[in-house]
Amino acid sequence: MKINTVIDNTRAKMMDLPYLTKRFLRDSWVGYLFTRAPNPRDTLVFAKYWIMNWAAIIYWIAEAIVKLGPIGFARALYHNPWILILLRVNGVANRLSRGGRTGVYHDSICLVVHTICLGVIDQLRQMLFDPERLVIFEDLVPYDIGRAMGLQCYLLELMGIVLPIMYTEASLQYIDEAENSGMNPDACSLPKATVGMVLKGHMPKGVAMVSSNMPCDAGAASYAFIQRAYNIPTYRVDAPYNFYNERAEKLFAKDVMGMIAWLEEHTPGRMDWDKMREICEGRNRMVELENELFDMIRVRPAPVACEAVWLSHIWHFNVTAGYPRSVKLYEKLIKMARGNLEHKISAAKKEKYRAVLWNPPFLHFSDIFNWAESTYGVVLINDSMTYNHHGPIDTSSRETMIRDWGRTIMQGPMVRHTRGPAENYLDDIFRMVEQFDLDMVWVANHVGCKGGQAMNGILREQCRAKGVPLLILDYDLSDPRIVSHDNMMRQVEFFMENVMKAKRLDQQGAA
Amino acid sequence: MATTGKTMKVFEELLENPQNRLVEEAVQNGRIPIAYSCSYVPEALLMADKLFPVRLHTPGIAGTEIADNYLSSLVCSYTRSLLEFTMDERFDQIRGWIFVPACIHMQRLYDNLTYLKHPTFNHILDVPRKVNNDTLIWMVEELKMLADKLADHFSVDMSDASLKKAMQDWNIFAGVIQSIGELRKKPHPPVTGTEFHQIVMAALASPKDLILPYIFDLKKELGEREGISKYRARLMVVGGHLHDPEFIRIIESQGGLVVADRFCTGTIPGFKSIDVNGGNPYKALAEYTFSKTLCPRMMEEFDRRLSTIIDTVKEYKVDGVVLEIIKFCDLWGVDAMPLVTALREKGIPVLKLEREYRLGSEGQLRTRVQAFIESMGK
Repeated sequence: MKINTVIDNTRAKMMDLPYLTKRFLRDSWVGYLFTRAPNPRDTLVFAKYWIMNWAAIIYWIAEAIVKLGPIGFARALYHNPWILILLRVNGVANRLSRGGRTGVYHDSICLVVHTICLGVIDQLRQMLFDPERLVIFEDLVPYDIGRAMGLQCYLLELMGIVLPIMYTEASLQYIDEAENSGMNPDACSLPKATVGMVLKGHMPKGVAMVSSNMPCDAGAASYAFIQRAYNIPTYRVDAPYNFYNERAEKLFAKDVMGMIAWLEEHTPGRMDWDKMREICEGRNRMVELENELFDMIRVRPAPVACEAVWLSHIWHFNVTAGYPRSVKLYEKLIKMARGNLEHKISAAKKEKYRAVLWNPPFLHFSDIFNWAESTYGVVLINDSMTYNHHGPIDTSSRETMIRDWGRTIMQGPMVRHTRGPAENYLDDIFRMVEQFDLDMVWVANHVGCKGGQAMNGILREQCRAKGVPLLILDYDLSDPRIVSHDNMMRQVEFFMENVMKAKRLDQQGAA
Repeated sequence: MATTGKTMKVFEELLENPQNRLVEEAVQNGRIPIAYSCSYVPEALLMADKLFPVRLHTPGIAGTEIADNYLSSLVCSYTRSLLEFTMDERFDQIRGWIFVPACIHMQRLYDNLTYLKHPTFNHILDVPRKVNNDTLIWMVEELKMLADKLADHFSVDMSDASLKKAMQDWNIFAGVIQSIGELRKKPHPPVTGTEFHQIVMAALASPKDLILPYIFDLKKELGEREGISKYRARLMVVGGHLHDPEFIRIIESQGGLVVADRFCTGTIPGFKSIDVNGGNPYKALAEYTFSKTLCPRMMEEFDRRLSTIIDTVKEYKVDGVVLEIIKFCDLWGVDAMPLVTALREKGIPVLKLEREYRLGSEGQLRTRVQAFIESMGK
């Protein structure tokens, strides 16, 4: 690198210092204490989770040093530098629990972030400690089967989702890497970030890989590159377009059975059906608990909302479904929500509007709903990635288990919305509007999601016909350079002021 | 370059309208045009009895203002162009539509078309994204269901005998097109890439039996034609939908001669013959469907796509490959990354062009092709 470049880079970093300091302070304890009204109870709860998160991280570091050796650990950090971004977990809890969130609502968010912290650490264990048994899974093929086979599993897209939540700009270097290597810039930024991580060598390799045709073209197509880059055997699961029928379920179940046989052939894993039953039963219990939660948040005002609902689902159903820790989390959430419900305590300080978010959440601006909640009283009740209405898995036999597990995948979020006729996409929205007594629909209009973009015209007309206010909020899933946070907030403001004719809560107070 | 003959003018004229005079003639004779937009639809199935297939294209599309409102401007321009023409009633003769969920764009075109126009016959053929025994059986069932639906809706004969006859007709048609395509292997081919593409596109957008006499005439003409010797490089065009022959004309105007085509409406490997000797015509059609095209939607076929291109490069003595991708096409856009790398590793020069469905930025296209040919030292 030329000396001039080094000087320029240093100067640019220096220019950034005030902003970086401000951000650091905002996400630190100082930020926690000074950006909200003093509340000793909440502070103690936050401190509890802050300590528990750090304790888990330090324990993992010690474990990694013992298992990999100091040099091995340093090498792992060198090859996976994004691990350091994960240290910001308490900053995330801090940001998400802000905006007047207090009491049970505050606690539930700290709890969800803590369980995700533990889950991420488990992922790092699987990724680093036993590479001979490591199998890579695409994010919409949950690795329940891998776990039942005694394999170590890693979701390739996972960090593309987690990192921007931790740090807004975390995916940018990977997105740039993919684009510079020839990937089309208009593709979804999640597969771009994933491909970028593979290109940079910041991903585990594994001994085999399972991908699929879900949810979108870019994601599925990116595995042609990833397979060549890794040069490991790959199995691809193929969910039919029309899947709400027995014929499709049979085909998909055969495909899943094919995957099991293939994994047994290409990995040291062996299928343990009792373990699979245990996982499926855990999943069933979680669905049951989540449905109970859905019933509770139907009530106005909702006893818990936003991250307690969507963030818990996105991690615990997609990554650690059926884990005892995930089941326990939902049991605790139910208990917390019930407490609020019984005492008629609203999660949000002022629930004026109830919203649903359609399409993937705003990863790099995950706290936009804190802002909307404290500014306009808009509370996110549920979202497309969380909402489910499939039945439980019948664990009475292997066949029923695989059939119903397959059905759960095909009828899961994103998968059912990106295949089949338009009704699969639209009906869920209006069903939710009714079920959760919603006041508005927010569409997270990710520029890279062509399937969602192409539904906006129909959705707009149908919302107009049904009198449902609709906000189509332009953004990019992981790249804040496409639409900035300020711009996103302006879009909400225009919508609230012009469509909802709503005033900011602080202006109402002044009036 | 060879001069345009009388028959070539017919093909040019047939491409001026999405529903050309041969389509109109067939409709007047009581036949039923069925529109399709993807190579995974087996045309032979739509040639049974009174049916005939019409490949959807939108010649002369100027803008997609109405379609943009529904599909957004971030969706592939082919899809938007089709919706625009539909909204403008430019496909008013079409009696049935068949789509394949080949990509999310086509899926959503189907959804928007259903919502906006309520066609009485609008079908999705659910072609799996990988090939094995189970998906072959699935595909056989899909084709049978489509045939039953067509028979029911249009009261046409979709019996095995009728299908076999249609498959034989297809084989005659594909055979003659293929034989013209083979001429391009010669060191001095008698036909340019532009002309060949005009023939193929006109043939795909017309009733096969009505256009076949013209194709036979042309074949005769070509036999008497002098081969083309003035060109700088032999090129192969690879990619997704490419309908406008002008795109190839521009490439050829810079001294390239397009001798091979591996795109959706190209002949490699699209114009294969169907095995008509087997017992089950649906099985033959399903096998044929899986083998006739090489779209990146097929998740496990990257190596087949790559080796087909490499084999074609050798067979047709191609100097360089032009990879054309319609903007916003994720399948080709993402697949291009490993494809370009793999081809270059094999020593094959590649020019990757991102373009819109309708021809535009001609100056840039010329410059890039010129630079590409020069970079090959030609």
